[in-house]
Amino acid sequence: MTEMLSYEFMQNAFIAGFIIAILASVSGTFVVLRRYSMISETLAHSALVGVAVGLVSGYNPLWVAVVVALLSAWLIEYLRSSFALYSDAVLAILLSGSLALAVIIVSLGGAFNNSLFSYLFGSILSVSKEDVIVIVVVGSASLALLLAYSKELYFIAYDEEVAQTSGIQVKLLNFILVSVVAVIIALSIRVVGSLLIGALMVIPTVSALQFKQGFKNTTLLALSFALVSVAFGMTLSYEYSLPSGATIVLCVLMLFVISLVLNNSKR
Amino acid sequence: MKFHVPIFEVKNLNFDVGTQRILSNISLEILKGEFIAIIGPNGGGKTTLIRMLLGLDKPTSGEIMIYGKKLNRFKKWDKIGFVPQRASHVDSNFPATVQDIVNMGRTSKRGLFSSMSTHDKELVNDAMIKMDVLNLKDKMIGTLSGGQRQRVMIARALASSPEILILDEPNTGVDVVSQNRFYALLRSLNKDENITIVFITHDIGVIADDIARLFTINQKITICNNPKQTLSCEDMSLLYGFDAHLIHNHKHDH
Repeated sequence: MTEMLSYEFMQNAFIAGFIIAILASVSGTFVVLRRYSMISETLAHSALVGVAVGLVSGYNPLWVAVVVALLSAWLIEYLRSSFALYSDAVLAILLSGSLALAVIIVSLGGAFNNSLFSYLFGSILSVSKEDVIVIVVVGSASLALLLAYSKELYFIAYDEEVAQTSGIQVKLLNFILVSVVAVIIALSIRVVGSLLIGALMVIPTVSALQFKQGFKNTTLLALSFALVSVAFGMTLSYEYSLPSGATIVLCVLMLFVISLVLNNSKR
Repeated sequence: MKFHVPIFEVKNLNFDVGTQRILSNISLEILKGEFIAIIGPNGGGKTTLIRMLLGLDKPTSGEIMIYGKKLNRFKKWDKIGFVPQRASHVDSNFPATVQDIVNMGRTSKRGLFSSMSTHDKELVNDAMIKMDVLNLKDKMIGTLSGGQRQRVMIARALASSPEILILDEPNTGVDVVSQNRFYALLRSLNKDENITIVFITHDIGVIADDIARLFTINQKITICNNPKQTLSCEDMSLLYGFDAHLIHNHKHDH
């Protein structure tokens, strides 16, 4: 353990990983309660388009991913609110469209390489000092926004129409939520990978929901599950040279199974 | 004096879905302090009218004013408490205690990052006492009966200390004892606290003594200024489109 933490790249990975665990689990609570779980997958695939553009054009893929994920989040909200389209259908269309676009860009730009692999599945080796600074600064701002509006987002998750009639700016807050989620996903793909970040956002909350607690306890449980999964997952990733995203997701899945068994055996 | 300040003013309101007219030429006023009941057959447009008053649906044509302002310019929505029809049908897995739900009533009055003030806590506590759910405050909402959930939803609306309370068939699935207690509470809120009440119901006989006016809605509106006299079998038949009979409730003397 001491040896592992003596490496700078592992320190970077752990700092970034823990911040991402906090961001993904807190935002994931709102996403799951809004029945919006698929949005994380869709935005992760949209972020991949940004990564592809970044890799091909030479711009920092992380920043381009943030921009593309944000644009995609706004497009989802626009399509959902302006047209008579089912939300899940909108998400499915954008998910496959984004993936197709990312593959075409990467293929045309000749960027099918290890670097792309690390964005797909996460790699602790790829987290640089600059990445950590971006994740800390942008992540803190995103978390502050979520916490500032947490009581409104909770009300909206419970009953959107009653929240609206009580004077809460539902459209604005939906917009803020998807924007923050887009940013968090784009920030997370270094560590967890674009194909697996959805799991870190959704599974800790679904596991926490098995314990049938109030909002505060459910959020804290989800946060704990995400932190534990990141810690164990990254350690396993270091010890066995495995992609960090996959090991983190397997850990969080394990906690989900334990939560399910524990709470079903109580009944 | 009661009944002088208009809260809602609706003029020539129409609402169409495709080629079908749901509400036709509705004009009405709801004044401060009134107790108004709305009745009508299912699909007659009662809930649609309420949704438009609350800005949830846009009318095809016509004008809605709230506290003298056009609906799209009205900002003080925290003056209005709303209990929707489906309030008791909650997601049983939603992570919320009764206290969490009633706290939501204070959400729009609290600032960013702010926790519940002593005043907020008092109002939430009072609302739970009024609706007799204080003893349930730590229970998960999903574990309550339909009637208990309904009382929690009304407590949430009361926690916002509204000037007007709009309830869309709040007694669906609630037992008779709870209903009678609920009607007594509505009377008290209206008479003692001067809260304006707009109430969609099918159970008009029980509260006919208390209501100031009765709106009957079946695409069009008929406003009855003396509900007790107006509730003839002929009127009911006309409204509901088939033979209807009033069953007199002797306990309530009508």
